[in-house]
Amino acid sequence: MTRFIESTITFPYKRSLGPVVGAFMTALTEKQILGIRCQDAVLVPPMEWDPATGAELPHEFVEVGPAGTVESWTWVGTPSIQHPLDHSFAFAFIRLDGATTPLLHAVDAGTPQAMSEGMRVAPRWRGSREGRIDDIICFVRGEAAETEGEDTGGATDPVTRMDYLASITYRNPVPEAADRATEASREHRLLGLRCPTCGRVYAGGRGLCPVDAIELGPECEVDLPHTGTITNFAIVTPVQYPGQTETEPFVRAFVLLDGTDVIIPYSVVIELPADQVKVGLRVDAVWASPAEETEEGGGMGGSWGSLLGWIPNGEPDIDDPDLVNRIF
Amino acid sequence: MSTPPVAVVGVGQTHHKSRRLDVSFGGLVREAVFRALDDAQMSLDDIDAVVLGKAPDLFEGVMKPELYLSDALGAVGKPMFRVHTAGSVGGTTAIVAASHVQAGKHRTVLAVAFEKQSEGNAQFALGSGKGASLGAGGAFAPFIRAYIQRSGAPEHIGWKVAVKDRLNALKNPYAHLKIEDISIEKVKASPMMWEPTRFLESCPSSDGACAVVITDEAGAKAAAADGRPPAWILASSSRSEPSSFPGRDPVRPAAALQCAADVYTGAGITDPRRQIDTAELYVPFSWLEPIWLEAFGLAEVGEGWKLVDDGTTELGGSLPVNASGGVLSSNPIGASGLLRFAEAANQVRGAAGEHQVDGAKVAIGMAYGANNQYFSTWAVGSSLQPFG
Repeated sequence: MTRFIESTITFPYKRSLGPVVGAFMTALTEKQILGIRCQDAVLVPPMEWDPATGAELPHEFVEVGPAGTVESWTWVGTPSIQHPLDHSFAFAFIRLDGATTPLLHAVDAGTPQAMSEGMRVAPRWRGSREGRIDDIICFVRGEAAETEGEDTGGATDPVTRMDYLASITYRNPVPEAADRATEASREHRLLGLRCPTCGRVYAGGRGLCPVDAIELGPECEVDLPHTGTITNFAIVTPVQYPGQTETEPFVRAFVLLDGTDVIIPYSVVIELPADQVKVGLRVDAVWASPAEETEEGGGMGGSWGSLLGWIPNGEPDIDDPDLVNRIF
Repeated sequence: MSTPPVAVVGVGQTHHKSRRLDVSFGGLVREAVFRALDDAQMSLDDIDAVVLGKAPDLFEGVMKPELYLSDALGAVGKPMFRVHTAGSVGGTTAIVAASHVQAGKHRTVLAVAFEKQSEGNAQFALGSGKGASLGAGGAFAPFIRAYIQRSGAPEHIGWKVAVKDRLNALKNPYAHLKIEDISIEKVKASPMMWEPTRFLESCPSSDGACAVVITDEAGAKAAAADGRPPAWILASSSRSEPSSFPGRDPVRPAAALQCAADVYTGAGITDPRRQIDTAELYVPFSWLEPIWLEAFGLAEVGEGWKLVDDGTTELGGSLPVNASGGVLSSNPIGASGLLRFAEAANQVRGAAGEHQVDGAKVAIGMAYGANNQYFSTWAVGSSLQPFG
């Protein structure tokens, strides 16, 4: 049965809003909802250009609402963390009074039976507003806007940017070859797969030959040596970004395994300062003890499993001018 | 197999900057689009289809921005295509646009590419959202080390490329980096980032966009008759190879050699070093210039660095490379490839302004991406028969 690994990527993006959406967001902090005139229509939210022709629109803003009419809706029975409300609600197209186009927003109606087309709703404002669409917490039945919590007033400066904390969770199938490589690593074996067509050997649970475009199954397995030579390397000065784990320059080395054509790429080196890494250095594999095992495996990550990285073994350097070219 | 002649009749780009906080995505791409349309003396109504390229969505965190941007690009009711080929994407975008015209499917196609790096973080995105991202500089450092060792090039070659491209950028009003006092000493003294690549040997992070209008033979001839020279697309090619396999050579990738061979065969170029007047090569780190000079047949193997050393690739040399200042001076990633193609087109149109290469009749634009894996190139000419 296929095993899955879940991983989540999050990043705090910063959106530049531009002059039109920026004006809309700034107005939200003042508890006003703006549309823009586009020929005979009033577009809400406002757009920078005519959606039909692409023509630039003059910045002729029109205040609409605050109340409006539900034109269409759908019920969200089990909201996720990314939904605007933590209990069930409706997403609705709401045509605000004075607008030609509907605005998509949440309606806090309690039950789907309480929702209907033609229903009149008004915004429930957040007391503390930053210039985001969720300054309107949701819409509620009725004609009068309300405010939740203490009203801290409008923005002092025009709103030009918006924080957007993106988060996406992937559920990736783990290929069988990767699982077999990880299992072998638990026994401190370095598993390779030899392509029956071209004879190339791949390590790290890569269950295919990209040259011949064929799958490499268990019948292709070979055991690889645990000793090799650094052929090339990168010393990376870590640039800081949200999620960066490094603060000091770190090394990723390419290790050519003895008596084979196999390179272990982007290898972690152990007890080897960045300024001492060099081409031709002899290294041994370092394996995790059971106590060091983690779900994510050792320092190499992924299907390398218990392989923590590579450590200088004290043997004399290899002097071969062609070594540096063995990157892949 | 011969394809009908098609040409570039309009080129536009933004002023590239670290942060264009004053515009939305749509506002940014429209600056480039309307400059290209003005250049072509066209309006959005003249465009039959739009092709959009940019780096992967993780760079700005907007999924399928081509759909979000379709109304900003006036593409409502028109075919809209997205191209994904990593860093080479801008070049491939131009090739896909040209292909639609060559195929007779559309008469006039708009190629647009952009990046708004200020909304996200490239190192984060290149590291698949994890810590310890190698970044592009870390990924390419081993390739550069291999090139230096096998060619025996002296270390100042990288510094020279860095200075040359920044001097060229001073002549390009759209370039991002304007380092008035750039010098070998300044490059040499800048921090080591990914040994042997120093800070000033690296590209900036830019917000920017580029757009190119490609039309058929009749449209191009009409522009020419009106005194607006087109850039005829003599040949183009996109090639790629897997990221890693034993025997792979990232300094002379098979995909690069095949991409060059495709374009030269298609364009009738038999002696690239002499028949090509100027090249816009994708050089985000200085040492990529000699590497690509060799892989693209503009220098003999092991000799690319000598063309840097003797000034051949300077503006005023016999083969100026990146007269625009190149990726080293402006890097809105997705647009960087299209900028190479667009600048090559402007050179043969005689429209490059202060960084014009005198008498350029044939130019190549080249882009590459990922682990030296994806390659896109076109050759453009001031006429369809530039070699007589």
